[in-house]
Amino acid sequence: MKHWSRVLGAAAVAVGLAGTAMAADPVKVGVILPLSGPSSLAGSEVIQGVRLAAEEANAAGGVLGGRQIELVVEDDESSPTKGATAARKLIEQDGVVAIVGTYNSAVAMSALKVAAEAKIPMTSGGSTSVGVTDMNEPGNPWFFRAFPGSDQQGSESGLDTVNVLGAKRLAVVHDNSSYGNSLADMFAEVTKANGAEIIARESYNAGEQDFYAMLTKLGALKPEAVYLAGLVGDGANIVRQASEMGIQTQFVGSGSMMTDKFIELTGPASEGFAVSSMFEPDTPNEHGAAFAKRFKERWGVNANVHSALGYDSMAVLAKAIDRAGSTDGTAIRDAMMKSGDVPLVQGPPGTTASYDEKGSVNFNIGMAIVKDGKRQLQPF
Amino acid sequence: MYTIDFAMTLFVNGVITGSVYVLVAMGLTLIFGILHVVNFAHGEFYMLGGYFGIVAVMYSGMPLLAALLVCMVLIALIGMLAERLVFRPIRGRDPTDSIISSFGLAVAMQNAALLVFGPQPQIIRTEMARVTFSIFGVFMTLQRAIIPIIAAVLVIVFHLVLRYTWTGRALRAVAQHPTVATLSGVDVNRVALATFAIGAALAAGAGVMMSSVFMVQPAVGNTIALKAFTVVILGGMGNIYGAVAAGLLLGIVESFVSGYISNEAREIVGFALVILVLMVQPSGLFSFGKAVDRA
Repeated sequence: MKHWSRVLGAAAVAVGLAGTAMAADPVKVGVILPLSGPSSLAGSEVIQGVRLAAEEANAAGGVLGGRQIELVVEDDESSPTKGATAARKLIEQDGVVAIVGTYNSAVAMSALKVAAEAKIPMTSGGSTSVGVTDMNEPGNPWFFRAFPGSDQQGSESGLDTVNVLGAKRLAVVHDNSSYGNSLADMFAEVTKANGAEIIARESYNAGEQDFYAMLTKLGALKPEAVYLAGLVGDGANIVRQASEMGIQTQFVGSGSMMTDKFIELTGPASEGFAVSSMFEPDTPNEHGAAFAKRFKERWGVNANVHSALGYDSMAVLAKAIDRAGSTDGTAIRDAMMKSGDVPLVQGPPGTTASYDEKGSVNFNIGMAIVKDGKRQLQPF
Repeated sequence: MYTIDFAMTLFVNGVITGSVYVLVAMGLTLIFGILHVVNFAHGEFYMLGGYFGIVAVMYSGMPLLAALLVCMVLIALIGMLAERLVFRPIRGRDPTDSIISSFGLAVAMQNAALLVFGPQPQIIRTEMARVTFSIFGVFMTLQRAIIPIIAAVLVIVFHLVLRYTWTGRALRAVAQHPTVATLSGVDVNRVALATFAIGAALAAGAGVMMSSVFMVQPAVGNTIALKAFTVVILGGMGNIYGAVAAGLLLGIVESFVSGYISNEAREIVGFALVILVLMVQPSGLFSFGKAVDRA
């Protein structure tokens, strides 16, 4: 008798525990970002946006009827091998329902291979190269990017350089990554089609420090504008070294140089620097401006394009998980594709997460020009 | 475009870059020549030099030259610590042990830097960056012009130490024949400490100077270590004066390749040279006049 009651009691406790565990069982979302290595600066900014979006979703009652989102973070160190390993670990060991990541396009590609095979949707943590979205089968995407890809960014920068800045003799300098190459190709193609001439095209390895020799050559060729497609530290090095050498030209930078860190590292040499701009803290986008305010309160620093895209990727994903009504990867993916009504903090006012059949959101990328040590969004 | 000024500018840029290669490679080749340790953590002494320089100049307001000396002394101490804690316990064992240990040390130091200084690239800003002048058609900032000068001073001081001091003689003795040196009363432990102190200090000196031109981040030692290894092989493993010549040569060749061919080809040249040298003359380009340490 006594024995029985003990068993029953234990069973009741076990059922009770299991019951509470079910209700509070968090939904795990994987985050893959470069938190050490050459892109760690960007990675550490993206993750602040991701965290804020997850915290806000949790504070608003979580997803799927009160379940909290739990982030499982992996560092990919900008290495494609580590990216694939991280994706495998998150999916197989942690059982994540979706992945936010990652920053470097080549790393996103190798992680996506793993995720798509396991039917786990991914949303970009900064990767811009069309190489990643091109891995998506049209109409059946597993990778979502809440902002335009390198094709659109490169072509808009090209058009702005030729038509607005009025430069015709151009040089292109890019890093040897998927990101740098795809932007440079597009920029060259569009500017040539619009009557400009590419007088030099140079590439470098990301993380290289010494650009004096390359700049000596550019200085001798005297281009009217130089397009830089690469990471923020390299871009800052190039612009600063060019100014030390007395080279006067209009530099136009790719999206990764859209941060205050660029201006800080470049110093006075950043004056007049033009850069693609998808988000500024003083954006005319209302949703974006409100985000910038909350971000500043949460982290004590200004939001920038990295934190904004991290926020968008996580916020849209949280909404999709909730709407999917289940933790099934395919259901979440299908819900992602119906996010056309979810507002984005990036882009012009009224931008929403309306993914195209390849998983990309297309909105007009502006251009900002540095004046008095601050980026100013141009009205075009 | 292919004017004398253009070539001169490339040449001067090559000398500046090359003099940094020289400082890092000299320490690397010294440690190899004397202790037969292939130190993969050598780039990290350069990285620490950069960070210490930033702390000294930007946060403590020291003048650059004072900061240079202070940082070199501090990092010499860290080098000695690395010798005592990491390399001494495994001395005399299989060489792969020290290679793997130095890899571990490199990873530990990089991550320590990541924890302390964060992932953001940083840079020293001094007034010298704004002082520009033009000489023989080469446009230059004072900041960069002093780099080869300081490097030359360090090389000369190092040469005098090696030649004329008791420590220098002990270092050369151990490099030539450790057993005989020990029998003659040379304390090998002291020599090992001195070797690491000198090697680390030279790399740190390069790091401090470059932190005012380039940016410092935790992984910055990787690239420079690769260059230093290239230089060490070109100059002959353990050949200090070979490293000086090969370092300058590599800097100048890279600069010309980048200027006249393409920046992409620049990285290829150094490694192609290494493969060639290893095939044709494995003892290095300058093996005819075998250097002091191994003669």
